Amino acid sequence: MAQSGKGRLNYRCPSCFMRDLDIDMFYDKEKDEYYCLRCQYCGNEADVLEKNEMIRFRYGRMHERITNFD
Amino acid sequence: MNNTFIVNIIHRPEMVPEYAEKVTGQGKAEDIGRKALLTESLDIFKFQQETAHKHGLKTTIQMTYASLFNDEAVEIAKAHHEQYGDEISLSLLGLPCKEFREKYQTKDFCIWMFSMEDKKNIVDDVFGKFYDRFGFYPESTGSYYMDAELTNYIKEKYPMVKCAIATCWEEGPKAYHTCNNSWYTLFDGGPWNPWIPSKQNTHAPAANEAEDSGIVAIPHLSRDLLACYDGNGSNFGTHPQNVLRGMIYDSQTWEMPYLFNLVDQYRHLAKYNNGYSYNMMFVGPGWLNKMGRWEAPYELLAKSYEEGMAYYGQLKKEGQLVDMTMAEFADFYRENKTYTEPECALWKDILYGSNKQLFWYSDPYMRACVNMDQGGAIVDLRPYVAKLKWEVGIGTKHVQDASYPFLIQEKYRAGYFTHYAGEGTVRSAKISYNGEEVDLCLCRTHASFSQEGNTRVLTLDPVDIEFVDLTVKLQTKIYFEEGSSKIRMERNILEMSNPDAEVTINEYMVGCYGTTEYPEDMCGITLAVTDGTNTDSIAYEYKCREKAMKGGKVASATIPAIETKVSLSTDATDGEAYVREGYAFSPMYTIGYQKKISDKEVFSTWLNLEKAD
Repeated sequence: MAQSGKGRLNYRCPSCFMRDLDIDMFYDKEKDEYYCLRCQYCGNEADVLEKNEMIRFRYGRMHERITNFD
Repeated sequence: MNNTFIVNIIHRPEMVPEYAEKVTGQGKAEDIGRKALLTESLDIFKFQQETAHKHGLKTTIQMTYASLFNDEAVEIAKAHHEQYGDEISLSLLGLPCKEFREKYQTKDFCIWMFSMEDKKNIVDDVFGKFYDRFGFYPESTGSYYMDAELTNYIKEKYPMVKCAIATCWEEGPKAYHTCNNSWYTLFDGGPWNPWIPSKQNTHAPAANEAEDSGIVAIPHLSRDLLACYDGNGSNFGTHPQNVLRGMIYDSQTWEMPYLFNLVDQYRHLAKYNNGYSYNMMFVGPGWLNKMGRWEAPYELLAKSYEEGMAYYGQLKKEGQLVDMTMAEFADFYRENKTYTEPECALWKDILYGSNKQLFWYSDPYMRACVNMDQGGAIVDLRPYVAKLKWEVGIGTKHVQDASYPFLIQEKYRAGYFTHYAGEGTVRSAKISYNGEEVDLCLCRTHASFSQEGNTRVLTLDPVDIEFVDLTVKLQTKIYFEEGSSKIRMERNILEMSNPDAEVTINEYMVGCYGTTEYPEDMCGITLAVTDGTNTDSIAYEYKCREKAMKGGKVASATIPAIETKVSLSTDATDGEAYVREGYAFSPMYTIGYQKKISDKEVFSTWLNLEKAD
C-alpha cells in the first residue's frame, strides 16, 4: 500500500471541525477516501462535502444581510 | 467626531507565506528558497495591492525581512507610495527566509518568543535593512503580538515609530486547540479596538502620559466579539479568508453576507464611542494561495478578497469610510482620544440566531464582559489596573504565554454552570425567598447603552423572578465611571406581587486567576471582610472555610501572583459581607454581600480593582 497524500483540495476533517479542530485530511487513493489522522472519520469527497453542509447548521443567520444592530 | 469609520488595510509581501510551504510543499523536502514559492508570494502581494487600489483605497505596505532582500518588492513599495500614498512600513512577521535562518540559526519566527537579546538584534537588523533599502525608518510596525519590552526597545531606538499591530483579540488557548495544539499564539485578554499600550504591559492601556508606551496599538483584524469569545477566533474576523475558514458562506453561490454584517456591526460601535469606529483588514499572502486553502479553491479566495475591498471602497465613495495608513491613524487617534476614555461595544449575535447580547468594556483599569443572556452577569474580567509586568519569550517565565490574566473567564473556568460540584467564575446575584433561590444568571434579558457625563450606563430590561408564592420584578443598571477602576451594579426592585414581602439578595463574585483552562495554585491568596474598623481574614489553603461579618462593608481577595486586589463593597448598612475559600475540586474564592431587600428598594454594590503591591 502506497503512502497517502493530499487530494484535489485540502479538505479538513468535518467531524473534528464540529468540535473546533482544523485537521487536514489525507487522501488514500486506493480506497478513494479522505481520512483523519486524529479521529476515526473517513469518507469520499461527496461525503466530505455533505458533512461540510451539516457543519453549517449552527450558523442560523449565515444567509442574512443584517441591517439592525441595536 | 460624527460617525467616523476608519479602516486600515495592510498588506505584506511575505516571501515565504505562512502555510504556503506546508501546503504547496506537501510531499517535498522543505525548501523555503524555492523560486516558485517566491514568485507566487509576490504575485499574491501584487493582487492584493491592485485590488485595494482598484477600489480607491490606500494601504499600509508592511515590508517583511525577507522582502527587503527582493528588489521587485522594494520597487513596488516605492512606486505605490508615490502613486497611491501607501505607507511603507515594516513588519516583524515574515522573518523566515534563507538569509534569516542562516544568520540566526533557528526556525523560530515569532518576534515575541525570542530572547530579549535576540529581539534587540533582530529589530536592529530588520530596521537597519529597511533603512538601507528606503533611506528612512518606518513609522509603523507590528506582529501578531508585541510584548511591552519589545515595544519599549523599539520606541527607544526608533522613536519615529508611532503605530504597531500589537495583538490578536482572544487568540489564545482556543486558537491553540483549533490547530491541534500546534499554534502557539497565546495572547488572550487584550482590547479589541485600538488603544495606547502601557509601558508595563501591552494589553493594558496606559492611564496617563507616564505609562504611555509612545505608540498607538491596533489589533490584528477586527473580530466578532461574540463568536470569537466562544469559538476559534480565526473564523470570525474582518479577514475574508478567515470567514471561509469558518465555512460561513453558501457553498453553491459563494455568497458571504456575514463578512459585511461584521463590518457593519463594527461601524455601529460608533454609537457607543462618541462617533468613532474602526476596522482593520490584514490578510497574509498565504491565504490567497493559488493551490487553494483547505476546501476553498483559489477562485473563491480571490472573490472573497475582491468583495471585501469592494465593500470598503463602496463605503468610501458614499462618504461613510475614511481609509488611513497606520501612521495617519496613530495621529488621528492621538488627536481624538484621551487616556481614560473607554472602548465600549454592545455587541449582538449576528451569526447564530441566538439573539444573545454582550457588552464589552475596556479602559486602563480593566476589561470586562457583561452577558445579558445571563442577567447581566460579568463573565470575563481582566484587572488591567495591576499593569502586570509579564515578560515573554525564551529566558522568561512565560516563553509562549502572553495572555493578560483573568479573574473571571466563563469559558475556561466554568461560569454559572458546573458539573456535579463546585463553582465557576462569574459576578452575579442570587435572590432567595422562603427556601427558594434564583440566580440572575438564569434571567435572560437585553440592555441599552447610555452615557451620563463620564459614566457609561448599561440599563437592562427588567426580569421577573418567580417563586412559588411571590413574583419579583427586578431591574439591573451597571455603571462604568471613567477612570474609577470600579463597576457599580444597581438592583432596583420595581415590583413585588406581595409588596410587604422581603427577599434576600446575595451579590457575589466567584473568582480565581489564570490565563488558561487549568487551575493555578491558590495558596497565597488572602480573603478578608471588613467594616472599616475590624477585619477578619483567611489565608487560602483549600479548606472550604468561610468568614462573614454583620455590618461589614467590604469583602476582598488579594492575589499576589497577579498583583491584584478585587473587592466587593456597598454603602448599605443592614447586611453582611462574606468571603468563602474553595477546595481542591473547586479552586475558587467567593466574595459577597447579602441583605434583605423589599419592594421599591434600590441597592448598589461596587466591584473594585486595585493593584496589590
